[in-house]
Amino acid sequence: MNCLHTTRWSLLRSWLAVCWLAVPSCLTLANEPSPGEAIYRQQCASCHGPQGEGTSQYDERLTGELSVEALSAYIHEWMPEEAPEECTDEEARQVAAYIHDAFYSPIAQARIAPPRVELSRLTVGQHRQVLADLVAGADVAAAWDDQRGLTAEYFNSGRRIRDEDRVLERIEDNVQFDHGKQPPPIDNLSAEEFAGRWQGGVHAPETGEYEFVLKTKNGARLWVNDDETALIDAWVRSGEESEYRETRFLLGGRVYPIRVEFFKSKQDPEAGLTLSWRRPKRVEEVVAPDYLSPHKFPETFVMQTDFPPDDRSQGYERGTSISKQWDQAATYAAIEAAGYVVERLHEVPGYKQDDSRRGDALRAYCRQFAERAFRGPIDDELAAVLIDRHFDQANSPEQATKLALILILKSPRFLYVDLHDHPHDSHAVAARLALGLWDALPDEALRKAADADELQTREQVAAHARRMLNHPLAAAKMLAFFHEWLNLHHMQHIAKDAEQFPEFNEQVLSDLRESLDRQLNAIMWSEASDFRQLLVSDALYFNGSLAKLYGAELPPEADFQPIQLDAQRRSGVLTHPLLMTGFAHREQTSPIHRGVFLARNVLGRRLRPPQEDFDVISPDLHPEMTTRERVALQTEAKACQQCHAMINPLGFSLEHFDAMGRFRSEDNKKPVDASGEYRTIDGQPVAFDSAVELAQFAAESTEAQQAFIERLFHHVAKQPLLAYGETKPSELREQFVREEFNMQTLLVEIATTMAFEVESP
Amino acid sequence: MTTPRSRREFIRQMGIGAAAMPFVLNLPSLGFANAPPARKQRLVIMFSPNGVVPWNFWPDEEGEKFTLKESVTPLAPWQDRTLFLKGLSIKMQGDGDRHMRGIGCLLTGIELFPGNIQGGSDTPAGWASGHSIDQEIKRYLQGKPDTRTRFGSLEFGVLVPERADTWTRMVYDGPNKPIAPIDDPYQMFSKLYGQMKDQAGVRSILDAVAEDLRKVESRVSADDRKLLTDHATFVREMEQELARDADLQLDHVVPELEPGVREENENLPKISKMQIDLLVNSFKADFTRVATLQYTNSVGQAKMSWLGIDETHHTLSHEPDGDKAAQDQLTKINKWFCEQMAYLVKRLDETPEPGGEGSMLDHTTVVWTNELGQGNNHTLNNIPFVLVGGGLDFQMGRSLKLPNVPHQRLLMSLAGGFGHPIEKFGNPNFCGDGPLTGLA
Repeated sequence: MNCLHTTRWSLLRSWLAVCWLAVPSCLTLANEPSPGEAIYRQQCASCHGPQGEGTSQYDERLTGELSVEALSAYIHEWMPEEAPEECTDEEARQVAAYIHDAFYSPIAQARIAPPRVELSRLTVGQHRQVLADLVAGADVAAAWDDQRGLTAEYFNSGRRIRDEDRVLERIEDNVQFDHGKQPPPIDNLSAEEFAGRWQGGVHAPETGEYEFVLKTKNGARLWVNDDETALIDAWVRSGEESEYRETRFLLGGRVYPIRVEFFKSKQDPEAGLTLSWRRPKRVEEVVAPDYLSPHKFPETFVMQTDFPPDDRSQGYERGTSISKQWDQAATYAAIEAAGYVVERLHEVPGYKQDDSRRGDALRAYCRQFAERAFRGPIDDELAAVLIDRHFDQANSPEQATKLALILILKSPRFLYVDLHDHPHDSHAVAARLALGLWDALPDEALRKAADADELQTREQVAAHARRMLNHPLAAAKMLAFFHEWLNLHHMQHIAKDAEQFPEFNEQVLSDLRESLDRQLNAIMWSEASDFRQLLVSDALYFNGSLAKLYGAELPPEADFQPIQLDAQRRSGVLTHPLLMTGFAHREQTSPIHRGVFLARNVLGRRLRPPQEDFDVISPDLHPEMTTRERVALQTEAKACQQCHAMINPLGFSLEHFDAMGRFRSEDNKKPVDASGEYRTIDGQPVAFDSAVELAQFAAESTEAQQAFIERLFHHVAKQPLLAYGETKPSELREQFVREEFNMQTLLVEIATTMAFEVESP
Repeated sequence: MTTPRSRREFIRQMGIGAAAMPFVLNLPSLGFANAPPARKQRLVIMFSPNGVVPWNFWPDEEGEKFTLKESVTPLAPWQDRTLFLKGLSIKMQGDGDRHMRGIGCLLTGIELFPGNIQGGSDTPAGWASGHSIDQEIKRYLQGKPDTRTRFGSLEFGVLVPERADTWTRMVYDGPNKPIAPIDDPYQMFSKLYGQMKDQAGVRSILDAVAEDLRKVESRVSADDRKLLTDHATFVREMEQELARDADLQLDHVVPELEPGVREENENLPKISKMQIDLLVNSFKADFTRVATLQYTNSVGQAKMSWLGIDETHHTLSHEPDGDKAAQDQLTKINKWFCEQMAYLVKRLDETPEPGGEGSMLDHTTVVWTNELGQGNNHTLNNIPFVLVGGGLDFQMGRSLKLPNVPHQRLLMSLAGGFGHPIEKFGNPNFCGDGPLTGLA
């Protein structure tokens, strides 16, 4: 199988030709057709066609949803049409098994049908981000500059803060003080009774639930992304309560307005306040200045409607299927968004509540809303149906606005990614580009370029793509990609045996997540943005407590910083303690999980699911064995070796890292053996002695690079890479090599491809 | 005013195409079709602030023959269904001034926590340290399928100031868990009927969606067309389900609110009427069987210029007994509140009980109360409690004088009236004698 210049797809197909056409229960790889295939060719193909595609005599395609059993029963009863009694039960079963796998089942059809750009709706994540853009209108990225912290003000006020009582305004790192019984060290501020206010923006690095925590023995309240209704209202201190928590769902890559107010009454003996939060999958911590901005930010509409999850069967979220639940959720979302807008009509330019001509302002607003929602201009005929009709009929312009917005948000032109009049229209290109890089709508600069029809050359599109990388939404989308690549979403709940790993706890886990994210972001957004560094960098981000756990030198209170480690031991994210911890059992390592991860995610190999029934060999049965020996024993059967010949050595290469990712030289009192051999896709053997050597191989290997490109493409475009041409994967890789493996350049190239290279239907 | 949190709740309750209307409208489900329904019982607790003028409020007589004093003459048409309970007192001490304790302990029967809210006297306090009796009854009713309603309880307010503190909160879901009354009729309307409105709105646009789907079909390849035809099927199904739901709600009339009434002192009478109309409608639709109706707040400062009174309510309430002009004005103010109660009672009385016998008033008890006995001396003795209606099987048409007993005993009686006998509520030290005797 010489595959250097063949596409992944034809590779898969040739592999399938070997594996899938074999009778599933028999593992011998015969060149002869299976009995089922032989019968099919002989008895059925004359009517149904060699691939079930039908013939002139019988033109229905032989595809459907029946299981093998059901199909087999059907064949037995009905086939061949002229003499069903000729077909035995066993023959029917064999034919059914063959055609089910070869072309009958939906899975087989998916294999046969050549990849193409499929009509897709917005994914759930895109739906949320796009609605946020649509409803909010203003782009906040500009306000997120290099200044960190919050704008702090102090007042000689009591319970009612009055601006004229302000004695000081300055920028502070965050909200965390404990003056105890001492007066705050601020000139002219009354020690007995005073108030404070902190405001600005808070950045959510990823999408999820954020729990905010106020700790105070005084009065305090907190607003997050809602200037009117406080998220936490602890203005009244009552009883012993001094800790208040509330959760808000936030979209990643966006900055939200935040405000904290505080007052110390004359009766309060002490003054103190802390603003903490718990980010998704993290432990509680004081909100660090990194996530704060002292500037003003507008509210963002965050859709609360629950959607059914997107299809992930191809390894990435995509919007190629719909369901009744999805349609209902889209309806709720439309009502929710329209309701939000209608409550804030006073923000619409030209709108005044009692103005009899306010309908005109709202009509214009609806049209603008529709054009942004549909990612392109609309004509008067469409506007009449979508908008004018409601204004002519509804009781009030406000009700008309609501109905028009609901209709716009229910329209296929909004819900589907690419229903533009002309796929090469600059607006269509802009829309795809913004979805690709941000999962969101075009910003003002991109809209202007589209209006001027300046997205007609590849270079014009690429220039915008490069500009758009510098946006929190691009960072959030890339971080989500890395999490997917590294399988982090499968690592929700990691627990370790308390006797063996007493140091391991939620705090360590949270710190490890932070450590990995910092490393990924640092490499991705460095100038070189070198993919190979992901695999071979010898720096890890540690804080004081992680350093102590993983054998590095740092003061105990040190914040996260890159630490140079022994390059003979650690290598990039592959040996990151979070991954080593996640791909491990409670008590021991798991070379199989690690090997499968390396094979699938890093090297891009396809593996079949394991055999259904096997018992994991307990360490107690072979107390003298190392983990490596036990896994080898477990998988020694020939049937297992088909895959485990590849999986095991890859996994064994990481045996130097225990179940919480610490380096070890011995396992079960024997020296660790991390050596092994890997056979590349074109059959070349590669020997390695350790994870470091394996990582070095992977960094330079065609297959790892190709796999990375393909994964990133799918994450960005949510369409199969091969739909953009059989040679696209190799073109992208060749360019990746020429560009010194720069991931930012790759991302630009991918986004440009999916935005620019489309065929007319 | 809608927060994302309440938006999420809203969406959870909301059902389109999920056969939600029977739940939304509390239509009888088939499972109970055979059992004879027990009679519905309802409770409204209405609050007005700053005490009353006792000699213009309490009947002189005790028993079934009594004369209504000036403040309460609006109740004359229902005197035989009215019960005066004089002699109930808020006996608890603890933190907070009497206005704070008055409203905070009124329905909870338990002390306030210490805190940072300093009143005009006494020590600073926080929130009440327990839940209120209306919420106790709500929990009891929501715990049984045959008395469960869509909301369980509704908290109406009329011009309650935009600040959350001990003086503005009467209803508690638990210790430190005050529930804010909704004093904006439009917000209450959208809570009650927003879903139905939205469903009707969605229904009106589905044809256009289907048409749009047909139009864009030509833009996609044959392979992709199936996605759009599937989509069209879902749209059609939703249309059918909404049509069926619309048939189910035909007999429930959604009230029309006068548009654009702002939350201003001068609009107090209008807002009061709007809220009462919504309250009666929500009972009619069986959205809830428990409601509270809070006028302003403890220390409330309504200025009843429409009665020719230019002074604010709380300020007037400090005037001494000898200031006849002030006492007359306070009497007028309380009479105005009583008129609000009378309007509520009248609406209930003229509405036939849905699916039952008699009028809704026969199945509803309205309790009017206050955080103080009298404003100028801030007494927590003789807290006003006037009951009208037949919701709780009390023997009405009487004036009772009780020997200065803890008001917790009445709170327990209210629960008992719903078939939920409790032996203590709030601070148990005041519950030793159990619920009031001789009410039924």
